[in-house]
Amino acid sequence: MGKDECKTMLDALNKVTACYRHLVIALGSTSDSQNLREELKRTRKKAQELAVANRTKLTSLLKDKSISKDDRAEYERLWVLFSSSMELLEVDMKRSLEIGQDFPLKVPTRHLIQTGMTGSTTTVAARAMSVQNMKYEADSNIDTADLRDLQCEISQVSQMMEEMEMKVQVAPWAVEAKQEAGAELKSNMSVGNSSVGVISICEEEPKEEDGGGNRDAGFASICAVLVFFVIVTVAVVLGYLVINMS
Amino acid sequence: MTIRNTLRDHGQRYRPRMACLKKAEKLLLEMQDPKTGVKSQPQRLVITTIPHAITGEDIIAWLADRFQVDTQEARNFVSMLVALGYIYPLQDHRRLVIKPDASLYRFQTPYFWPTQQWPVEDTDYAIYLAKRNIRKRGILELHEQEHYNRLHKWMNHKWDFVVMQAKEQYRAAKERKKPDRVVFECQERAYWVVHRPPPGTVSAMDYGLDRLTDPNADEVTGLLCCSFKHYTPLTRSLCFLCSRRLVKYCSTYKSHDPFLSNCLPSNPWLTDDATYWSLNMPSVEIPTKMRVERWTFSFAELLSDPRGRDDFRLFLKKEFSGENLAFWEGCEDLKWGEAATMREKAEHIYKTFLARGAPRWINIDGKTMEVTVKGLKHPHRYVLDPAQTHIYMLMKKDSYGRYQKSPVFKDTVKKAICPEEHRYSDAQLQQNAKKRRPSLSPIILRQMEQEQRAKMAANVDITQVMSKLSKQGKEAPPPFLAPPLRNKHKRVMFRDFYRRI
Repeated sequence: MGKDECKTMLDALNKVTACYRHLVIALGSTSDSQNLREELKRTRKKAQELAVANRTKLTSLLKDKSISKDDRAEYERLWVLFSSSMELLEVDMKRSLEIGQDFPLKVPTRHLIQTGMTGSTTTVAARAMSVQNMKYEADSNIDTADLRDLQCEISQVSQMMEEMEMKVQVAPWAVEAKQEAGAELKSNMSVGNSSVGVISICEEEPKEEDGGGNRDAGFASICAVLVFFVIVTVAVVLGYLVINMS
Repeated sequence: MTIRNTLRDHGQRYRPRMACLKKAEKLLLEMQDPKTGVKSQPQRLVITTIPHAITGEDIIAWLADRFQVDTQEARNFVSMLVALGYIYPLQDHRRLVIKPDASLYRFQTPYFWPTQQWPVEDTDYAIYLAKRNIRKRGILELHEQEHYNRLHKWMNHKWDFVVMQAKEQYRAAKERKKPDRVVFECQERAYWVVHRPPPGTVSAMDYGLDRLTDPNADEVTGLLCCSFKHYTPLTRSLCFLCSRRLVKYCSTYKSHDPFLSNCLPSNPWLTDDATYWSLNMPSVEIPTKMRVERWTFSFAELLSDPRGRDDFRLFLKKEFSGENLAFWEGCEDLKWGEAATMREKAEHIYKTFLARGAPRWINIDGKTMEVTVKGLKHPHRYVLDPAQTHIYMLMKKDSYGRYQKSPVFKDTVKKAICPEEHRYSDAQLQQNAKKRRPSLSPIILRQMEQEQRAKMAANVDITQVMSKLSKQGKEAPPPFLAPPLRNKHKRVMFRDFYRRI
């Protein structure tokens, strides 16, 4: 259905926005590098593709006059989600332009701020692009060439947002959120795990899933492992007895 | 849609003081030089080791060397950098101060540097609080919890986005290695300590109203730039006079300014204790010593303070010349009151104070009386201005001096209280902050004011009226159309007119 598709795409956009913010925070610091600039560029492009897709979908859904009131309320809520994501993305893009200009990489005396971050941001970018490993293939002058592209893209995004404002009449303050205060605590991942591993192309669990589900799944797996070991032990003991008997 | 900062925004967004930010950034870059910059050392935590930690004494020493200043100056400078958020402390992260010992600091990443262009958004703060909520499993600090609840209420339409984004950012942060994760958390926490300071601290990024011109842009030269020596002698002497007056004003009011000297008992904005305000209410029985001292600075001070005016009124009542003050107050009421009731007010004032045989007749000279009566034919707000000025000068030159020597005033001075200074501990300050309550509504205050005024109007002193009527029997009729009376009040008036007051 249109709604689920929308939600999936919005989740994707949300994820890419979060990862992009993380990458921009690393700009100008000691974890800045050629690779980071390329990661930023590719994340940005993906964000823009997702944004355009989302916008088309949502605009067509909202323009449809024959939808029910509940549906319309839901689409408006999704619209507010989308526009907030876009605002965040736009600000981050502008800031990355500014910081990128202030901290060029290809200069003889490079002064990056010693922030204590020395690791790479490959995993974050891989998460954004939904791939397992990132391949880097950019030229060495990415930091200057990319900035020009970035300026174009920023103007594109600003234009898109203005068009959105004009074309779609949604009052953002009239939207009621579905999540109540403290909702982020419910769908919490178990603390201490890092989710390095396979990142599936299809999206994460939807918003409605409970943290209870996660916890139960943990218990269930531990129980299953225990049962397995018990069975193996019993089998070994029986086998030993059988061999002894024969 | 929310209102965003677009290029066409002509709003006032700059504050001249923030021109220091660009300069601080240049300095920060210099500090990073591996050869000539500040020496860094690794920070050893339980399992991990994080590089690029600098000690307080190292930074201060480097700065003192770079700018060739003494240690105290360098220390002040570095504390400014810390307060702005360019360098953050690793231990005791809530207090943004520089300690000139081996305590560790770290540089902040450029994204979190303070800027004027990118205002600190509440959305970002909400996302940060939600992330912190996840990390701390629901146990936030008190002020953070309050902010969270408030933002949840006011940003409710965006709350889904906040939750989604917080979860995604939390997961994205987990993708990094442990040392980087720790550093990132410290950075973000330091950023928000600067921009949403915990209670009892002040943000260095707090400034007053925004201005229109960007301090970092090129200056417009030409029109207004002229040096002092090009001024004419008259302009120069006026400049000197103005500056002398300014100096005199500053030296007189210095001890009364709550910014420059201690506010007794304590500044309510700092300690959340409203005793100062309740002691200085407009109509309090016993005023404070500082307030009474201010009444002696000038007549305008005395009249503008309601309690001072009450005292003065009491004194005038004893001298049977309360009609001057009543007339002055009536004129003020006319000037600042509603246009609908203006006509009646003007007529009432005329009947009570100015007409021949009026019950509270005031003594003004013939010319002023003529002008006033002529104006009253078509009354407007400022029709009684000449008369009011005359009476004001009269009171100032005559009654004010006598008031200051009178037993009424001396009695007030003796009874005035000087409250003890409060000395609150940190725990008590937190208690005070919790007990904060809004003050009386302005509507109620206004009603009280109006009741008081009505009471005063009803209580026109009957003895004064009687004495006035008896005096009138002996004196000549008021000089309405007769030639002006020669009396010392008139001479006082002329002298004052030509003296610059």
